Amino acid sequence: MKNIVEVKNVTKEYKELKAVDDLSFVVKEGEILGLLGPNGSGKTTTINCILSLLNINKGTIKIFGKIMKPDAYDIKKDIGVVFQEVAVFEELTVYDNLDYFCGLYIKNKKQRKEYIEEAIALVGLENYKKFYPKQLSGGLLRRLNIACGIAHKPKLIFLDEPTVAVDPQSRNNILEGIKTLRDRGATIIYTTHYMEEVELLCDRIIILDKGKVLAEGSADELKELANMDEKITVEVDHIKETVIEKIKYFKNVHEVSLERNTLIVTYKKGKNNLSELIDLLKENKVTYSKIFSERPTLNDVFLNLTGKELRD
Amino acid sequence: MIVFKTFWNVVKKYKGTVILYTVLLLVFGFLNMSTKDTQTDFVNSRPDIFIINKDKDGLLTKNLISYLGENSNRKEIKEEEDSINDALFYRDINFVIYIPEDYSKEVMEGSNPEIEIKSTGDYQASLASRMLERYLQIQTIYKKKETDEENLIEAINHNLKTSAKVEIASSLDTTKTTNSSRYFNFASYSIMAVVIFVVCLVMSSFKEKNTKKRIIISSMNYKEHNRKLLLASFVYSSIAWLLFILLGAILLKDILFTTRGLIYMLNAYLFTFCSLTIALLISTLITDKNAVSGIVNVIALGSSFLCGAFVPSEWLPKGVLQIAHALPAYWYINSNDLLKTIEVINRESLKPILINSLVLIIFSVLYIILNNIISKYKQKIG
Ligand SMILES: Nc1ncnc2c1ncn2[C@@H]1O[C@H](COP(=O)(O)OP(=O)(O)OP(=O)(O)O)[C@@H](O)[C@H]1O
Ligand SMILES: [Mg+2]
Repeated sequence: MKNIVEVKNVTKEYKELKAVDDLSFVVKEGEILGLLGPNGSGKTTTINCILSLLNINKGTIKIFGKIMKPDAYDIKKDIGVVFQEVAVFEELTVYDNLDYFCGLYIKNKKQRKEYIEEAIALVGLENYKKFYPKQLSGGLLRRLNIACGIAHKPKLIFLDEPTVAVDPQSRNNILEGIKTLRDRGATIIYTTHYMEEVELLCDRIIILDKGKVLAEGSADELKELANMDEKITVEVDHIKETVIEKIKYFKNVHEVSLERNTLIVTYKKGKNNLSELIDLLKENKVTYSKIFSERPTLNDVFLNLTGKELRD
Repeated sequence: MIVFKTFWNVVKKYKGTVILYTVLLLVFGFLNMSTKDTQTDFVNSRPDIFIINKDKDGLLTKNLISYLGENSNRKEIKEEEDSINDALFYRDINFVIYIPEDYSKEVMEGSNPEIEIKSTGDYQASLASRMLERYLQIQTIYKKKETDEENLIEAINHNLKTSAKVEIASSLDTTKTTNSSRYFNFASYSIMAVVIFVVCLVMSSFKEKNTKKRIIISSMNYKEHNRKLLLASFVYSSIAWLLFILLGAILLKDILFTTRGLIYMLNAYLFTFCSLTIALLISTLITDKNAVSGIVNVIALGSSFLCGAFVPSEWLPKGVLQIAHALPAYWYINSNDLLKTIEVINRESLKPILINSLVLIIFSVLYIILNNIISKYKQKIG
């Protein structure tokens, strides 16, 4: 597979702060790459650097195998960007907004009309063509924002947190739309700090923190880095110290912690961990209101790598 | 094309503003038509004259001066060509009369010494000129019969009194020109509001931070995109101008289809263009829509008040007019006021109007340069 984007040793400094710090990664043709990181980790800055919206201090950026520059219009024509903030004309209807933004790329009127109709269908705004942005709900507005960025059928799409503050219905619509775009052959770079989204959507994930790559791989590969395989949480009414000691002696147990009434047991690997634990609790007459088992999340990965939570 | 189309689509959203100021102008124009009789307030029928008398002792001269004094306002200014020319330019005086040395003596001796004049070429100046001509005609006629200076003076004065005071007819219909001047003066407000307000709002939409990012990353050259925007705003301003001219043609009728009317229109066009350059400057400085409407109101209303768009500038205090010199509207309105009273349109009488136009052009160029400097600076820090 071809490399669509190549970022090599890119550094972007704001006065003292290194917003992007010697960053290198590639994006392969046809994949959805997730850039995951907490607020301020440099996701937006990275995108702005790739797009030549910001001057970089060091490094090189290639798109479609060519060096990206502010006047590289032959590259730009195949790129679509959906920025974090909604950028549409208040004075224009949904349709006219799309007409303008698509018109910046597509001169042919008939072709443009087709493209716009397709974009409207993709984000499900068919019934709102004549609406002004002020008349749209937050979620619908975000969908319009996305449609404006992708209507010209770009080969490479950047989406910067397109689902922030969006209702579940619109969120599902947006995520489905992004998958559709990928299935039509687009390469997508998707930033978010919602780990569930990347897991659901992305073929590959890069975890960013302080402008650096912390880890890279598929969701499953990354979870190996969480240093555990299963996490069991028990809401106990009361538990004796001796019982906790007994749990620690199970062969797969990695760590046991008790905070107030919440008992958390993490396992490196293994099978039947849950039933083993339930049996032990029963034997020792420990009563509990809740018990559940989880696979590790990307948050656990992030926690393990940095010692802090992905989300504040 | 898409930039043009979108520009107009956005403008359409602000058509309320355009309609509002057009209706205001229309209402003002109508009211203006129905208050014809007050025009004498604005066109003073007594000319302001300045006499340079080198014939201090001549009796004939004294009589001429006293006759002129009865029918005009004699002004005293410095007897230097520079200050005389200034006074003429600023309409402090309309007419200058140079009486040569030994004028009376030479007349009595039968020669015909020449009295030189300088004139602003406006209505009052023509009154003064006709007054002088009439006197000299009578003097010439009676000189043939009378050889005694005192008898001659008596005869002249008698004739001046008895011959029915000929109404000095002017070829200029000041009712019409007053109406046109007032219409175009008021139009300065409508032009400023419609051009600056709408252009600023539309531009601020295109220059909104995130929208701008979208345009920059697109495959359209950003500079070219902005050139198209400029062209669109230029076309828009021209159409606004045309609208006000058409309205003027309906209200003022035939006067617009004369040379004078053409000058009114050109003057208005220059002012429209100048307003456009102001609009572009403001839209570079401020991109916040809410701030735009406030600032535009202050600028349009403020300059219209200070420069005499609503009331005749003669009614404004001198201090205010002094400040108004710093505003383009002052020069535009001044040209309109001059057009009200210019009797004959020729190179001489158009000179002050040409100078006003030049000032308007200089203002526009200044705003364009300032705009370029500021937008370059903003790009650097942005
Ligand atoms: N124009 C700027 N001047 C100075 N510092 C900036 C500027 N823009 C961003 N930063 C800083 O750079 C760092 C990275 O910001 P960036 O916006 O890229 O983060 P992000 O990952 O997109 O965060 P979020 O999830 O909030 O969108 C932050 O610490 C931010 O404060
Ligand atoms: Mg961001």
